[in-house]
Amino acid sequence: MLALGIEGSANKIGVGIVRLDGSILANPRHTYITPPGQGFLPRETAIHHQQHILPIVQAALKEAGVTPDQIDCLCYTRGPGMGAPLQAGAVVVRILSLLWKKPIVAVNHCVAHIEMGRVVTGAVDPVVLYVSGGNTQVIAYSEGKYRIFGETIDIAVGNCLDRFARVLKISNDPSPGYNIEQIAKKGNKFIELPYVVKGMDVSFSGILSFIEAVAVQQLETNEFTDADLCFSLQETVFAMLVEITERAMAHCDKKDVLVVGGVGCNIRLQDMMRIMCSERGGNLYATDDRYCVDNGAMIAYTGLLAFANGVTTPLEEATFTQRFRTDDVHAVWREKKSLPLKENGVVNPGIN
Amino acid sequence: MSPSHSLELKVEYPSEAMAEVVRAALAVDDELQPDKVKRDMYVEGNILSINFKANEARYLRASFSAFMDVLVLATRTIEEFGPAYKLAAV
Repeated sequence: MLALGIEGSANKIGVGIVRLDGSILANPRHTYITPPGQGFLPRETAIHHQQHILPIVQAALKEAGVTPDQIDCLCYTRGPGMGAPLQAGAVVVRILSLLWKKPIVAVNHCVAHIEMGRVVTGAVDPVVLYVSGGNTQVIAYSEGKYRIFGETIDIAVGNCLDRFARVLKISNDPSPGYNIEQIAKKGNKFIELPYVVKGMDVSFSGILSFIEAVAVQQLETNEFTDADLCFSLQETVFAMLVEITERAMAHCDKKDVLVVGGVGCNIRLQDMMRIMCSERGGNLYATDDRYCVDNGAMIAYTGLLAFANGVTTPLEEATFTQRFRTDDVHAVWREKKSLPLKENGVVNPGIN
Repeated sequence: MSPSHSLELKVEYPSEAMAEVVRAALAVDDELQPDKVKRDMYVEGNILSINFKANEARYLRASFSAFMDVLVLATRTIEEFGPAYKLAAV
């Protein structure tokens, strides 16, 4: 079975073509990059997606070497994300569905990150840390759904990093987070920043306010460097994420961690998480920017899992929505007893 | 609401079937402020007609502008991936 998937919930527009076994035939994408000091706004981002989506669909079909009649279903991101950019993907999928007479499958963006991470890394039943510019959640599968054990109570960790990058006028190319990570390697002085963990949840807006109000003045008086501040911010926010992830592992008695989402390709975060996992006798599963960062293949693959289990979305219901919780989705494909997932050649006896 | 402003857009497609494809695809999304702007779409022959009604010009303008973006995207999708045809305003 083959699926085509379109992702456009934030500043990337991507089209993926995948098989049910997780093999990716094509996964081109284009990123809307704003000048330093500026974020991406819904209308401009939507216009970017509208301009690039059709050539990317063409490129994906060409790279995969498939024709529309070979495709079994058309998948798109229903949400969560920015409304107008989401609409570009939804509209193209609706038109293609009518032209090619193929069924539609609406996909939750967060669940797609999880399924992409699982199929790429082979993680069977991990605690998932989903960290990106729009989302920060600690998730574990239980009884048919991906349950949220902890999350941010205000802005996402990636949003904190993105906005911090704007304060320091760090380039958004290829991404602000990547550039912060590179600059942080040269930092060696740790600056105390607010550390805000509230039970299972985290908060980042106060850290950002502190930097905007206090740290920027201290930068001007050369008390420390940009690199020191990048380093200290990463150490602080990543430590918070490791703490709530570890607490979730203890609660649901799981040993492995899967990190997904755009911030998940940060090597420093992966290193810190790996140390924690090894101390608990488990493994860290993580991927690089091809799969971590928003892409069409993750939407196609997750849509295909649902389609293979009989799920389709009628045209009239192929809407998009800015708010769409991870635990609103019934993960029917994970309940299939006939498809046991394997780990090290042994059928997993767990709760799959 | 007694709408005091209205706008009628007519787009010609090469066939009734293609006009209907665009109508069906775009009818899925409701107006963002249904209490302020009303939008009706219908197909007659190969013409897709869209009627906007609002009681303030600024709502009409915003709604129409956003709609044009997706209408153009939908139409370009047909041009690239459907039977070849041309688009012309009536």
